[in-house]
Amino acid sequence: MRATWIIARREIFSFFLSPIAYVTLVSWLFLCGVTFWLLVGAFSQQPGGSATANPLSVFFGGSTLFYIMILVFPPILTMRLLAEEKSNGTIETLMTAPVSEVSIVLGKYIAAMFFWSMLWVPTLAYVWISAQTGEGVVDPGVVASSYLGVFSVGVFYMAVGLLMSAVARTQIAAALLTFMVLTAVFILGLGGFVFPDEKTQAIFEYIGVWSQMGAFAKGIVDTRYLVYDFSLATLCVFLAVRVVQTERLQ
Amino acid sequence: MLIEVEQLTKRYGSRVAVGGVSFKVKPGEIIGFLGPNGAGKSTTLRMLTGYLAPNQGSIRIAGIDAIAHPTEARQKIGYLPEAVPLYREMRVDEYLRYRAGLKGVARRDIAGRVDASLQMANITDVRRRIIGQLSKGYRSRVGIADALVADPPILILDEPTAGLDPNQIRQVRDMIRGMAGQKTVLLSTHILPEVESTCERVLIIHRGKLVGEGTPGNLQRGDASAQTLVIEARSELDKARELFSKVAGVRRVSDAIVLPESPDLIRITLEADHTNVAERVFQAAAEGGVVLRELRREQTSLEDVFASLTTTEASAGDRPSESDATDAAEEADSSAPPTGESAASASDKEGT
Repeated sequence: MRATWIIARREIFSFFLSPIAYVTLVSWLFLCGVTFWLLVGAFSQQPGGSATANPLSVFFGGSTLFYIMILVFPPILTMRLLAEEKSNGTIETLMTAPVSEVSIVLGKYIAAMFFWSMLWVPTLAYVWISAQTGEGVVDPGVVASSYLGVFSVGVFYMAVGLLMSAVARTQIAAALLTFMVLTAVFILGLGGFVFPDEKTQAIFEYIGVWSQMGAFAKGIVDTRYLVYDFSLATLCVFLAVRVVQTERLQ
Repeated sequence: MLIEVEQLTKRYGSRVAVGGVSFKVKPGEIIGFLGPNGAGKSTTLRMLTGYLAPNQGSIRIAGIDAIAHPTEARQKIGYLPEAVPLYREMRVDEYLRYRAGLKGVARRDIAGRVDASLQMANITDVRRRIIGQLSKGYRSRVGIADALVADPPILILDEPTAGLDPNQIRQVRDMIRGMAGQKTVLLSTHILPEVESTCERVLIIHRGKLVGEGTPGNLQRGDASAQTLVIEARSELDKARELFSKVAGVRRVSDAIVLPESPDLIRITLEADHTNVAERVFQAAAEGGVVLRELRREQTSLEDVFASLTTTEASAGDRPSESDATDAAEEADSSAPPTGESAASASDKEGT
């Protein structure tokens, strides 16, 4: 357990020593800022606002920009995790230290979740801004469920990125694989808009991040989505452990 | 026994990288793992350190079955991989603190262990430098400090002096020699003087198999088949060559030249059995009217032993001039039919 924390800590530490961290953060803040600004602009044209239809709630899942961002940024956050250790050769020192593969993979996963959470901290400013401008617009419950939704998506997406980083030999390959898988899942989720049959729609909506964030941003905590995200994340982390174990059998 | 290895085998697909290697290491020994590039040294060390899983065989580290309990076994080992992989963005002491924690050094002992390992590796002066900015010599010493940081009883160093300059090589060797008795060191190298100067025992590995084992001294003496006699004499070259090649115990004339000083001064090098060939050579010279200026026995160097063990069965044989060892190995199968002599000597060597 201690080893897991030590590995997570080093991963976070090294991430902030790389220029990628700052480029990622700055571009994330810029894109979020633009999105929020556009939404505020759009809403200012219309009178009134409510807890579920205001710039903040639309920001969390109501705009296309949001989905572009949450598909593009996870690969950047997770590509380093294991692929870099492999391309640098440091995987050899890591795997000959007296730590288990589970500790290694969990440490990396914790670091990834830290990166993901870190992205969202600055967006709390939007909550504050919204609270300043509109009366009764910010409902703490809705805000909490929005962030829970985002966290839950992260649990799944970071695990996918971790697995791809375990499979790929280089960071670029890991990033591309992660992007492909996440986009594929995202597109599957759009099936909910395509099929006329209600049952089929329900299935695709269950898979999709669009409908998940749509619900959470309105303050609806649908546990089916949580179960979906957490169970797929568990599967990915488990597979990543197996992939790291097979490294010894090469 | 601190390390016990039985029938260790590693295959990459159909290629056997290590085929049935067995050896034992006593506590406090310094063992040299010697072999040409690609002989299976690194693969063997990687299996010992738990980085690679063997296809067959068993490894016991300090009595722990390293395959059933890999984490406990790795606790006993400090390992320097051949490529010295490091996190280039970290500072030296940050890296060592991280490694100490990872290896389970108690939190309150970490600072002390990091200081001690910096000192042992002689890199205290660069402790605040960023690893990526250090020279290769410093980087490999950071790797050594990493191997030492948790104070393990066993050190496994894969080519610890590769890429260092002569001063640094001497420092590393001194450091390793200084650990004799306190730590068990298994180091690999393809550089012979390294083994002669640092190791108490040598394991020679070739094509994934152990082909020789012993102390550097024993290996030198034990290879009786390769005693070399150097003769300087005043005579005609062909006559002397003819004369000496007939002396009982002489296997072949490996070299015969006319010295530049004078056309009738010659130097002949003989390979002989370790029986008293020198005396018989003296006798023959006296009877044949060859005036000896010098007759000396050259001790077989470890290099010769290494060459004879790691080139394939038929040695350079009856060819007049010595050729490059690797050439000999390649050509041996096809061109040189093994003579009775060389086949016998080869089987001698297998036995050592």
